[in-house]
Amino acid sequence: MIRRLLIANRGEIAVRIIHTCRELGIETVVVFSDADRTALHVELADRAMPIGPPPALQSYLDMAKVIDAARTSEADAVHPGYGFLSQSPAFAAACAKAGLIFVGPPADVMSRMGSKIEARQLMESSGVPVVPGAVPADQSDASLARAIERVGFPALIKASKGGGGKGMRIVESPADAVDRLQAARREAQAAFGDGTLYVEHVIERPHHIEVQVIADEHGNTLHVFERECSVQRRHQKVIEESPSPNVTPALRQRLTDSAIVAARASSYRNAGTVEFLVDLSGPDRDQAAFHFLEMNTRLQVEHGVTEQVAGVDLVRAQLVVAAGEALPWRQTELIQRGHSIEARVYAEDPEHGFLPQAGRLLLYREPRLPGVRIDSGVREGDEIPVHYDPLIAKVIAHAETRELAVARLIAALRAFPVLGIITNIPFLIRVLEHPRFRAGEIHTGFLDHEGASLSEPVHEPMPSFVSAAIAAATGSHEPGIATQLDWDPWTQLSGWRP
Amino acid sequence: MTKVVRIADGAYRVETNGQSHLVYVAGPPAHRWAFWNGRVYRGSQDETAPAARSRTRHDAHQELTAPMPATVLKVLVTAGSQVKKGETLVILEAMKMELPLRAPADATVTAVGCREGELVQPETVLVELE
Repeated sequence: MIRRLLIANRGEIAVRIIHTCRELGIETVVVFSDADRTALHVELADRAMPIGPPPALQSYLDMAKVIDAARTSEADAVHPGYGFLSQSPAFAAACAKAGLIFVGPPADVMSRMGSKIEARQLMESSGVPVVPGAVPADQSDASLARAIERVGFPALIKASKGGGGKGMRIVESPADAVDRLQAARREAQAAFGDGTLYVEHVIERPHHIEVQVIADEHGNTLHVFERECSVQRRHQKVIEESPSPNVTPALRQRLTDSAIVAARASSYRNAGTVEFLVDLSGPDRDQAAFHFLEMNTRLQVEHGVTEQVAGVDLVRAQLVVAAGEALPWRQTELIQRGHSIEARVYAEDPEHGFLPQAGRLLLYREPRLPGVRIDSGVREGDEIPVHYDPLIAKVIAHAETRELAVARLIAALRAFPVLGIITNIPFLIRVLEHPRFRAGEIHTGFLDHEGASLSEPVHEPMPSFVSAAIAAATGSHEPGIATQLDWDPWTQLSGWRP
Repeated sequence: MTKVVRIADGAYRVETNGQSHLVYVAGPPAHRWAFWNGRVYRGSQDETAPAARSRTRHDAHQELTAPMPATVLKVLVTAGSQVKKGETLVILEAMKMELPLRAPADATVTAVGCREGELVQPETVLVELE
């Protein structure tokens, strides 16, 4: 087993990995940039190593510094989390070269599946259906524009190294093609250091359903069921759940079978996710068409949904497999029990194009409720830095049925005060309360095409009891002492907006 | 009559008309934040503060400002450019995302206040329109 693990990440995922290591008696080492000196992951780890200035390129993305930190701290393994170096084959190879166990697939497997283009080709040859598209070898504007015309409108430009919606653009008409592909290339180059693009036909109103897989070195490749991640905004997932409300047992069998074929075809090791676009427009869901979208060669942000519904610890399984041991479960032992659903709480402003927000968490109180798990990497008073992903916390509710799990998640969000930074909490509540979401009918276009009203400002007066609390706050009274108020709140407050 | 009990730092139980509500309050009086039941309220408690900060100097004049600390990726207009509503004027980059700033209406660019590659702070005027 691993003795000392370096976690090459920050925020909630670093904290989440530390918790499993604690249970297993594995010592933890974290790295931190100057912006994260006092961050929660630094507080919780057994040892913390500074790795440079706030920009990720000079800290969390600097392979040499991370490997150096692992050597200096005498770690025997490295967990990359998600984002940052987690999908970098060069980093996996550098770890192996330095004699460190990399908690993830081997570099060559990651490289094969990390290139969306190579993965497409491998899936096609293994009989896993892929989205119709074109992969031009000539990457000039003119050649890509011709590929877009061939695929047909609307077309989707994607980055070979892409993820999280970065380097991705929809092209509706020939006139937009060059503009959009240049923007996609710029974004891909900046985010992934590789501007290679390809083109896919847009599948109208698809559901995004993914299958969690995990494989060991002893020939065992298992799936841990599906997650539905169709509530997306600009290809960024917002709400995820398992089981999918749209998958029948027969469709689940076909999806998980294909995911296992995909994992085996790529000689996959450790935890990964096979993403599918599923067309549920037909009458027979058992026979619904689906297409391989991509494989994520790492632990996903939304892994907690699977952990709750299957009652497993995926990080523990990752560490066991990375150490060369056999998977701790057999396929027949895994079941989906009840329903699990996650909302991602972001520092972003839904009323202004979901602009990321930075600033201090003046007040931050996580709710404690039965069946609710919160994965977060912050505490009250912390600064949300401008340099990294604006994810604050993941709120995961688990209950007997989907209806109960959704109600539980809404109750948790209503009891989660986050002040000082604008967050998407009110927006998340409105999505979860939407009748179409309640009915499980949401496809990936929902938020982009029909959800504008969900992010509009609400024009309703502030309740008088809220103004009363604000007035009392100004008086700075001792805890437990009542303030008797007899005044008209409306004359005292100006310029308030919900 | 309303009774307010401070039950923890920033947490207030407000009892009014036989009902009780839990309200959270934070921030200095000039920039107050309050939370109740999943809703967030923001504003100033200072009566002399303007109701809403207006960025409009006179009817036709408008300023587009940086919404957050960001790097200017591209400047697509110069002073004198005629722009159509929805046209992208400047592309910012923050948190690894491209943020296009678009014209709120058909207008003429009167001034550009940023350069490509520059790091801009919130409220920096990037483009002035008329």
